[in-house]
Amino acid sequence: MRWAARLRLRLRSLLQRRRVEEELDEELRFHLDRLTDEHVAAGLAPPDARRAALREMGGLDQRKEECRDARGLALLDGIRQDVGYALRGLRKSPGFTTVAAMSLALGIGANTTIFTFVNAVLLTPLPYPASDRLVILREQPRGAEGTVGVHPLNFLEWSARSRSFEALALVQTVPLVVMGAAGAEHLTRAQTTSELFRVFGVGPARGRGFTAEETRPGNHDVVVLGHGFWQRWFGGDPSVLGRRLAVRDGSLLIVGVAPPGLRIGSTEPEAFTPLEIDPAHPDSIGARSFQCYGRLRPGVGVDAARAEMTVIASALARQYPLDEGYGVFLSGLHEYLVREGRPALRLLMAVVATVLVIACVNLAGLLMARGLRRRGELAVRAALGASRGRLAGQLVVESLVLSLLGGAAGLLLAYGATRALVTLSAGALTVGSTAPIRLESTCLAFTLVVATSTALVFGLVPAWQGSRVDPQTALREATRGGTVDRRHHRLRSALVVTEVALAVVLLVGAGLLLRTFSRLVRVDLGFQPADTVTMGLFLGARPAPDRVALVERILDRVEALPGVEAAGTIQFLPLTGPNCGTGFWREGETPADPSRASPTECSLVSRGYFAAMGMPVLDGRPFDRRDRLDGPRVVIVNRSFATRYFPGGRALGRRVLVEWSDPAWAEVVGVVGDVRHGGLTSEPAPTVFLLHAQTPGYVTNLVVRTAGAASARAAAVRQAIRDVDPTQAVSAARTMEQYVGDSLSRSRMYAALVAAFATIAVMLAAIGIYGLIAYVVTQRTHEIGIRLALGASRGDVFRAVFGQGARLTFVGLLLGVGAARGLRGVVSKLLFGITPGDPVSYVVAAAAFAVVAFAAAAVPARRASRVDPTTALRHE
Amino acid sequence: MITDRSSVSLLSISEGNHTSKPTDLVQGTLDLLILRVIALRPMHGWAIAQRIRQMSDDELRVGQGSLYPALHKLEQQGWIEAEWAASENNRRAKYYTLTRAGRKALESETAQWKRLSAAISLVVRRA
Repeated sequence: MRWAARLRLRLRSLLQRRRVEEELDEELRFHLDRLTDEHVAAGLAPPDARRAALREMGGLDQRKEECRDARGLALLDGIRQDVGYALRGLRKSPGFTTVAAMSLALGIGANTTIFTFVNAVLLTPLPYPASDRLVILREQPRGAEGTVGVHPLNFLEWSARSRSFEALALVQTVPLVVMGAAGAEHLTRAQTTSELFRVFGVGPARGRGFTAEETRPGNHDVVVLGHGFWQRWFGGDPSVLGRRLAVRDGSLLIVGVAPPGLRIGSTEPEAFTPLEIDPAHPDSIGARSFQCYGRLRPGVGVDAARAEMTVIASALARQYPLDEGYGVFLSGLHEYLVREGRPALRLLMAVVATVLVIACVNLAGLLMARGLRRRGELAVRAALGASRGRLAGQLVVESLVLSLLGGAAGLLLAYGATRALVTLSAGALTVGSTAPIRLESTCLAFTLVVATSTALVFGLVPAWQGSRVDPQTALREATRGGTVDRRHHRLRSALVVTEVALAVVLLVGAGLLLRTFSRLVRVDLGFQPADTVTMGLFLGARPAPDRVALVERILDRVEALPGVEAAGTIQFLPLTGPNCGTGFWREGETPADPSRASPTECSLVSRGYFAAMGMPVLDGRPFDRRDRLDGPRVVIVNRSFATRYFPGGRALGRRVLVEWSDPAWAEVVGVVGDVRHGGLTSEPAPTVFLLHAQTPGYVTNLVVRTAGAASARAAAVRQAIRDVDPTQAVSAARTMEQYVGDSLSRSRMYAALVAAFATIAVMLAAIGIYGLIAYVVTQRTHEIGIRLALGASRGDVFRAVFGQGARLTFVGLLLGVGAARGLRGVVSKLLFGITPGDPVSYVVAAAAFAVVAFAAAAVPARRASRVDPTTALRHE
Repeated sequence: MITDRSSVSLLSISEGNHTSKPTDLVQGTLDLLILRVIALRPMHGWAIAQRIRQMSDDELRVGQGSLYPALHKLEQQGWIEAEWAASENNRRAKYYTLTRAGRKALESETAQWKRLSAAISLVVRRA
């Protein structure tokens, strides 16, 4: 309380200076007047009385100054003086100021930029009530990396058996085609069980969600509009409830509007419809392709829930062969959404922190040299009575001013860099994040803290050193190197070695990431992404023969287009995430409970798909027109499937029964190559390809291989589809190369950012080496002159000076390589195709650094070798 | 940078024309006197000086050079508060009041002063 009052007064003295001054003036003037009055009363004439009073007071200004001192303004004035002094000093050496402020700006700007992302992605919670209780559940094939979607059967079992959850919801995102004024339009739609809104803790903004009845079979034509879609189509009209939304084959009753900002995964659905699960045949709607979200009961932790689910999963695995080899994956939703962004951001935080440390170390060195040059000046001030604390304080103020300058410049850099990063490759950093990326107050506070703490870190040591002047010795040897110099030199050498080591660590890291990126670019995907364009088709709830016929007609039409080499469809494109896990039976097995079947991935494709995607047919034949809805069932398997389930024999000609919507025994008519379906770094899984023409799906993607200029042909393809059926909605066209680019974006961004930061680090370290050697040369010009006069060759001088820089570089390199090896674990997860000890990265990084460092040392060394002995000796 | 002000008169004890040298002892005493005087009622600087003079039977004269810095220091310490109000002759003057902390300080300073002066008079008497 008292403390607060005092602070208030102190601040008042500081901030309302004018007011305080005026009051002080008035107070003293009042006293002066009373004194004058007293003298007048004693019989003096008014002017004499005034003079006498002034004499007695001993000068108003002096009194005021004393009062100011008493108010504790002396300290503040001192700081103001120091700031002014620092600014003058910095202006006088623009070269030093520019280098110092720029390196700080780079360090601080990099940190603020990355922190802005960290703040939005990792520190800002999801925008739902009690969002820490939101979890995501997936299934985890044992022995395999990664997770898969949830099987409806398991969802029902989990809901019945678990106690940890307040609510569980099963969701699948399937597009919805609505008929608008401008024709058919694809909406993003979440099919969900009734509990979705309870799980997210946000009731519908208007109307209601789905009832439990609506998520059981029966034609429940109801829809909850997404908030954005409601605004876009209905202008936020509240009377929309009870109206009907026209879809291709009928209409849906609008029963509610979802709250804004409700995201499933990373997208905000435009519509929600009930997911109808038949408890008797839960797999009739699909297999392991569903998303499952839950809200934990209050007081139940993620670990406790995971423990319970593990027990349930092993019970299920004993009961259903479908669940054999499957566990449950459970994670906090925020944790899960940022799972890919988190390690990236952590790594980048570490990288930019290292850059900042290098900038600080560099500046400490520069400031020390500056302090040494100013030793004479400081000594004079010490001799005139300035205390050591006062001198040190002044030097700290100088570094503080410098760091705030750097901080301000860094903030500008960060502002630009953040915006650039957001547009360039933020997707790779902010996967699943819902918070907007912007420089907000937290980030500004972060910058301020970083700037002031760097000032203390890099300012204190030089300040301590600089203020430790003994006026006598300092003034006597102001220009000669003495013991101070030797101590100073050792310390600066240590600083330079540190910088070099840190820069080398970053450079090695950048090398590893760049090599990883180049490996990824050249990874064998199993298909040929060049010259293919894709677009999504939602076939809707037409009868099966119509869905088959529609795709057939579209394929015929598209294949006939000029420049098209092949066309086919697949339900879920490679690299775009989902695939469907299901089970199958081999000859000799009796299909029984579908949950006892052997697991396999399953893709639903049309004829022409393998050609369109550029996948090799290794054995047998691809699907063709012979394979018809009413003909014998056929399937194709991939190489992994063949080797795993038919080891030692040919898969071709064998019969399998795949659990699907209309299971039937089918002959394996071909074996195709493996594809990295789940992503560039995923291992191909055993996959069976079913034929759209025999078990048509509702969603599919058209894949068109062209003779070049793939994206330019998209319009013609789209027109061909419209010619076949004007009501057919088509999603935006994307080339397979774009999907590959998306998959590469994260790795590309790691490599680019770390390489950029490593470059900055190397530059800073080079400045450090250059600064030290150049300083040494300046200090030893006299000595070099003598050596040259005594017959040393210029080569000798060059070698001696250069050798010093080379030694520092060498020690730093050794330390850096050692440290990088010690830190292998940090990047190992981000690497692909190389080991963290990859010798190429180390050798190239060390060599690249050595070239830069030697150049930095060679410049001053060359200058040293050109010293003119006569000038150098006359100099003193 | 730091001016030595030890020679500025803080509080003079009038002994005819001779003024004794101020001491640290006296400096602390001035705070005590100010606190004591305004404990009765709020006063402005001029009145405080007059009152000290009056209460000490014209023995103690507070120099302006010490009164106002002392007041400002006490204000910063939170022992006294200032407020502008009309004075006897209808001019605006800065009135100082004792705060709660100031009252406590006055008590402890008074006690300390009593101990100190008793001790000094003991020494003076016995020496």
